[in-house]
Amino acid sequence: MSSSSKNTPVCRFKVGDRVRIKDQSWLFYSRVQLYARGVEGTIARLNYTDLVAEDETFNVEGEIEQHYIVQFRQQDLWPEYAFPNDTLQSEYPDRWLEPLNNSQA
Amino acid sequence: MSKSMLAINRSWGKVMASRPELREQHELIGSIQPALHYPQNWTYATSHSMFKAYTHPLHDVGGQPDVPVYYEEKEEEDWELRTYVLCETLGWKGAWNAEERRRRADVDIGYTQYLGIPYYGRWLLAAARMLVDNKHIKVYELQQKIDEVRARYVKQQ
Repeated sequence: MSSSSKNTPVCRFKVGDRVRIKDQSWLFYSRVQLYARGVEGTIARLNYTDLVAEDETFNVEGEIEQHYIVQFRQQDLWPEYAFPNDTLQSEYPDRWLEPLNNSQA
Repeated sequence: MSKSMLAINRSWGKVMASRPELREQHELIGSIQPALHYPQNWTYATSHSMFKAYTHPLHDVGGQPDVPVYYEEKEEEDWELRTYVLCETLGWKGAWNAEERRRRADVDIGYTQYLGIPYYGRWLLAAARMLVDNKHIKVYELQQKIDEVRARYVKQQ
């Protein structure tokens, strides 16, 4: 439980950047939804910085990372979704995001 | 079930599943909910999709097919508030953190208990298991205490 997290969090994205949610292993613990994996979205907000959840849940204080709010089109998540303008926002850490055609990412 | 099993290895090795493949994976995960009973007998091999379903973190329920359920506005009961305070106090004392609580109460607990035990009941089970795993209390000590409290409670009725 000792505090050993002193890294400067990586913050690769800014509001408006296009990203894709990575499809990484979920073995033993994950907070990233199955339905969002592989889907493209837009950074809507920079949230807080926090510990890597997969480590923290096993009581290990690993790296600190930037968390973002990512906005998806509902129809990108659910093709049969009826309303084309509806969106959904959810939170992801930097490590789970893949940059898409951004100027400096 | 059999329809999903036909597609068992289609998404293996791909960067991302197509939306129809995602739906199949969701249906496969849903099919191992404990309400559906079919015998499994120390299988020698399992497909990749089935392995993903077995190891899928239970709390990731979004997207699984379901029927509409009645949404009930309900105040917390006394035992639920006490459980909340107990678990937070264990956090302040450094016994665990909120992310460990989520893993223990929402994932490690297993599908049957996840779907069958009330929300704060799972918190309470998770706290007890954490205290046992980290050797803060002994299981036999806990079992004796449960029996003692139950006997006292029965007497009062």
